[in-house]
Amino acid sequence: MDADKSAMTQEHIGEIAEFISRYLSYMLGAGVHTSRVVRNSKRIGAALGTDVSIHTSQKTAMVTVRGRDVHFMDTRVVDIPAFPISFEWNADLSALSWAAYDRKMTLKEISDRFDELVSKPRMNPVFVLFMASLANASFCRLFGGDIWAMLITFTSTMIGFFTRQHLARRHVNHYIVFIVSAFVASICASTALSLGIDTAEIALATSVLYLVPGVPLINGVIDITDGHIQIGISRLVNALMLIVCIAIGMSGTLMLVKDSLL
Amino acid sequence: MESFWNSISAYNAETWPWQLAFMAVAVVLTLVLWFRPCTWAKVAMKVYMVAVSLWIALVYYLKYAMNRDYSEVIAIFWCMVAAAWVYDLATHFSSFQKSGKYRGWGIVVLLLPLAYPVISLARGLEFPMITTPMLPSAVALYMLGMLMAFSRKINFFAFIFIVHWAVIAISKIVFFNIPEDILLAAACLPAMFLFFKDTAAADEDASKPSETAVKTVIFIVVVLIGASMLTEYV
Repeated sequence: MDADKSAMTQEHIGEIAEFISRYLSYMLGAGVHTSRVVRNSKRIGAALGTDVSIHTSQKTAMVTVRGRDVHFMDTRVVDIPAFPISFEWNADLSALSWAAYDRKMTLKEISDRFDELVSKPRMNPVFVLFMASLANASFCRLFGGDIWAMLITFTSTMIGFFTRQHLARRHVNHYIVFIVSAFVASICASTALSLGIDTAEIALATSVLYLVPGVPLINGVIDITDGHIQIGISRLVNALMLIVCIAIGMSGTLMLVKDSLL
Repeated sequence: MESFWNSISAYNAETWPWQLAFMAVAVVLTLVLWFRPCTWAKVAMKVYMVAVSLWIALVYYLKYAMNRDYSEVIAIFWCMVAAAWVYDLATHFSSFQKSGKYRGWGIVVLLLPLAYPVISLARGLEFPMITTPMLPSAVALYMLGMLMAFSRKINFFAFIFIVHWAVIAISKIVFFNIPEDILLAAACLPAMFLFFKDTAAADEDASKPSETAVKTVIFIVVVLIGASMLTEYV
């Protein structure tokens, strides 16, 4: 313990604060709910012999790391990057916090493992495109769509999702991306109406489901119930804005195709 | 079904000189791009794609097929195909350069629109109530042929629109008795596998799952779509 205390310099505390701020920014950016991020960060802090206090908001987070039994502390404010939602990071980085705690890993070991986990290859965009399209076609089936409606939903989603990927790569504002993608997917799905099939409207309705921001909605509710009211409301408002964008895109289609929103 | 074929009949009877003109321009531009590729020809081909998409939207659907249900929806769809080519013109999204990979396949697909009237005549139909290379599915087939023949960097928006149209076309075989459209679906499914496979392989960064797994998924999905179409058709 004495040896630990002697190693606990201001510089070391600073390194721990630097790592934990990076760790939590990646987790929050990847769409992990706040209480889990806070718990994991505190666990890593405890594994390294420090106490961690965290304040989070939608765009930034503040971390204070205090050495136990010493009077050093370090505070960092970090921007939260906008990563794609990643359940893999969620699981891997949570497991890392437990590994750090159980195996008494050093900061370097934890940091190296963290770099390894976050530099895993990303999903192939074509694979994601196909999977999202298949998922939407399956939703269409679940809501009672026939095979034609499913096929049309599949290709409509493909067009909409490809539009989304393309515009996102070009760093277009994501609200505009949602409006355009919803419009493109729904207008393509509306071609099912011309075939006179009974389930054409199911194809139209399910063609935009790939855009629904499920993770921010769930996280927002979890954050509020866990007491992280501010970030919870921020996430819900953000999700609500995206839903409004989907509604705008789809309304454009309905006004063009059916002359009404119903 | 009757109004469907009546609209085709009226369209052919009144616009056949225009259709011939469009086909002549397509032949000239294709030959220039094939034998003497140059910047003006590439730009001209994209302008042609915009023009032919708008022709289908405004002339075919909004004038001759107006009495069919939701023809304005299809017109909007074809306007979006035109928009995809306008976007291509503005951003140089595709290059209309030969990659040499699917050249033979491209030639076959480019010639397929000419088979439309032949099949109609073989079915016992008579002009003007026959399918022509200037009907929507044949135009989509021509676009697909151009993408296959000049596949170095393709307009992927236009390609996915064509895939969507192939689904519409195959359902029309069932609903409107127009078996000529099977050509589009038959050409589109292999193209779907080839283009998506190439795009997945061309991903610059390391990605997962493995290239083989992605190809397998694409293949399975294409086979499933083909099987669904076939099942419904039969």
